[in-house]
This record gives sequence, structure tokens and C-alpha cells, in this order.
Amino acid sequence: MNAPAGLDLASIPERIQSEVQRAIQRSIKGVEYISSSGPSLGSTPKDILAVRGTMNLYHYRPIADEIYRVPILIVMATTNRGYILDMVPGQSFIEFLLRRGYDVYMLDWTAPKPEEKSLRMEDYVLDFIPNCIRRVQQDSGEQDVTVIGYCFGGVLSLLYGSIFKDGPMKNLICFTTPIDFREMKLFQNFSDRRYFDVDRLVDSIGNVPPEMILSSFEMLRPASRAASQVQLWENIWNDEFVKSYRMFDRWATDTLPLAGEYFRQTVKDLMWDNKLYNDTMSVGGRVANIADIKVPILHAVAEHDHIVPYDAAKHLITKVGSSDKEEVMLKGGHVSLVAGANAIKRLWPKLDNWLAGRST
Amino acid sequence: MADKSNDPVAIWQNLIGEMEKGFNSFANQAMASPEFSKVVNQVGGVTAGAQKQLGDLMEKYLVSMNLPSRAQMVSMAERLQSIEGQLSEIKALLHQVHNNSSAPVGYAGAPKPPRTKRPPSADGEQK
Repeated sequence: MNAPAGLDLASIPERIQSEVQRAIQRSIKGVEYISSSGPSLGSTPKDILAVRGTMNLYHYRPIADEIYRVPILIVMATTNRGYILDMVPGQSFIEFLLRRGYDVYMLDWTAPKPEEKSLRMEDYVLDFIPNCIRRVQQDSGEQDVTVIGYCFGGVLSLLYGSIFKDGPMKNLICFTTPIDFREMKLFQNFSDRRYFDVDRLVDSIGNVPPEMILSSFEMLRPASRAASQVQLWENIWNDEFVKSYRMFDRWATDTLPLAGEYFRQTVKDLMWDNKLYNDTMSVGGRVANIADIKVPILHAVAEHDHIVPYDAAKHLITKVGSSDKEEVMLKGGHVSLVAGANAIKRLWPKLDNWLAGRST
Repeated sequence: MADKSNDPVAIWQNLIGEMEKGFNSFANQAMASPEFSKVVNQVGGVTAGAQKQLGDLMEKYLVSMNLPSRAQMVSMAERLQSIEGQLSEIKALLHQVHNNSSAPVGYAGAPKPPRTKRPPSADGEQK
């Protein structure tokens, strides 16, 4: 009987041997996996400049001998931890920026305490961000600041930039930032105003628990967690795969609770009334129209983003008032756009090219 | 190089990938219906309320047993982090006073690099 076309009979014993070796390795590494902790994340040396409740401002210690004049303030999404941008040496966006000569600060969040359930959008946009900008100005001695916002951190940065249109923000970079919330179809359906009683939820539980946030993210791709477990088992012999899996898995499950009032406003103003897209948004009585943003802006979006689909993000660049504006679409998903092997090759060099000339 | 179409491992991996995509797509279609939203929000509302009550009950139980709750432990860790931050601020100030230097000093007491960097020129050299 002839072998099927393309089947190399001579390679079969070698292949069997390789699979047996991998099976043995899987058993050994599987035990190691269970008994060991994952890699240490977020270890780029930094100093804490300010801590106030859920707000944390870090300054990363410069590595380069000479740095750009304009410091960077990264505003993290309120649902997730900032160490996604500082995984491990060699795979850290922060480390990359420091090596390229940027002075980097980060506004990161910790879980709001039960007594912080009354924090509102105003606290984030009119207090935390301006406060951190002032601290960055004091610490760096520079008036101008570049702001980078990731996901909902981008939304907060846009609101800040719309209200504080006369500065001191010099450049704005948004990663995967939604502005048309109608296009976040599944989130829209989960928060359908006919069935989702946000007032009852917030009034009864206060802060929205992280499990609820995590489940809503996981429901967007319900089979992916199980499939990733299968992938992990198949590749458990591969140390690099396991290291990467552990880093991303730990970050993805390390979701933060959301302050109750802030969640209520987000649902009503953005998910229900789509105010940012409709130019009717205001924060603490102050109009926040993104057409008022005039600073140079770069918006990086991911081709396969299942959390913020392109349709939800694509109007940002057309709606801002800046003349110096650019959207860049890169291969990858919501997270792989900013972290991991793809980001190292694609987003990071692109961002450096764009920002270097605007940081002097 | 072996043909992937006959490689059982590649076939298995492809199958898992396709099953994942198919299930996700099917589930997303189902989740887009108003009925799904209705059911999920009814169940979710009840579950969230029950979890909150259970949490409050556990909190009371831990207080009666004179044990700290997880929230208290997290709060303590955050306060420690804040104290560490203030200590490093004091350390930096002490360092600054001790050196009495006129050179700009970083937060942790290290000298700050000059803000004179220029972007690389088109030929790759620093300006």
C-alpha cells in the first residue's frame, strides 16, 4: 500500500521519539508548573511619587545617560494593572522607553476600597490625572507632558485633554481606545438598559467586584480559556511558552474592581447614551468634546481586537481637532498590541519613531 | 519538511483552533440576543446580591473570630507600600541634604540625566 501523498514514512520513528520525549517533559514540567510561582512582573526600578486611595503615581528610574525633554505619563485602564506594560526584562514596554531615552511616569490603579465607592468620573478626570500631571511637572521640572492612555485609560486621557485644552498635555497617544460605544456590541447587550439595572447593582453592592469585570471580558470569547489550557498542556515542555503564558494569564485574571459611581456613570453616559461619540459628554459640569483636542495625537489600534473592535475606535482620529494626527492599525489583539513578541516588533518601534521628534 | 496536512499533531492543533473559533462565534451570536441579556442580568443581579450578603456575613464571622479579612490584609499591604514610598522620599531628601549638591537630583537621590536628547537623524545617528 502506498503512503498518502505528503506523508514522509522515514520521519515517523523520529516523530514518535520526539513526541514521547515531549510527553515525558510535560509530566516533569507539569509538576514544576504547579509547584512554582510565575516570573516576577513589573520589576523595572521605580519610585512611588504619590499614593492616594486607588491612585498611584510611579516614576521609573531613567536608564539612558541623556533623556528627551518631555516626560511621558502613562494612564492605565482602571480595570487592569499597569504591569502589562512592564512584564519582564526584554519584554517590557517601560524598559524599552527608558532605553530609548524617555522619562517615564505611570498613573496606575489599585483596587478602590469600599469607602471609595463614591468616586466619580470627575475624580479621575478632574483630580487624579491633573494631580499626577502636576507631580510630573514638579518632578521633571518641565511644563510639557506627553500622555499615553491604554484602553479606558485612553478614554480618561481624551476626557482630560478635551477639558484641559490649553495644556500642559503636549502629545497624546491612545492605545485601542473606544469612543463609539454602540459598536462594542456584546458589552452593549450585556448592559442593555431594558434588563441591566445599574442603579440597583451599584446601590446594593457598592464597588463592582473584579469577578464580574473578568467574567464580562471572558464572555466575549467563552471557549478561549479552555483552549488556552489545552495549548498550555501541549506546550508545557517549552519554557518560553510557559513563561509567556503565566505572565499574560496572571495579568488577565488580576482584574480590578471598579468604583460604584464611576461604573454607574460609565454605563449611563458611555454605554447607554454614547455621549463621547455624540459630542454631548461632560465631566463635573465641564464640557468634554474631543474636537477641542488640538495636540499631536497617535492612535494605535489592533486588527483583531475583540474587546475594542475597530468600529468602536475608528472615529477617534476623525473627531479630534488636531492637525497632526495619525491612526496606525497593527496586527494583533487588544493585549498583544502593547505587550509580547508582536508589540516588540510592531508597536514599540512605531511609537518611538512617532514620539522622538515630538519630545524635544 | 513534513507535510502539515498529514501531521497528526498539527491536525489536532488545527482542530482545537477551529473548535475554539467556532464555539466563540456561535456563543457570540447567542449572546447578542436580547433574551440572553435578560436572563444574564436577572441571574447576575441575584448572584451579585447573594455574593455581597455572603461577603458581609464572612466579614462579621471573621470579626467575631478576631481574624482579619482579605480586604483588611490587602489594605494593610497597600499601607505598607505607601509607607515604603514615604521612606524612599525621606531617603531622597536626606541624600539631597547630605550631598548639598546643586546638581539636579532624582527622586531616589540619583543624579538626573540631562534632558538634551535629540531624535535620531534619518541616517540613524543621534543629533
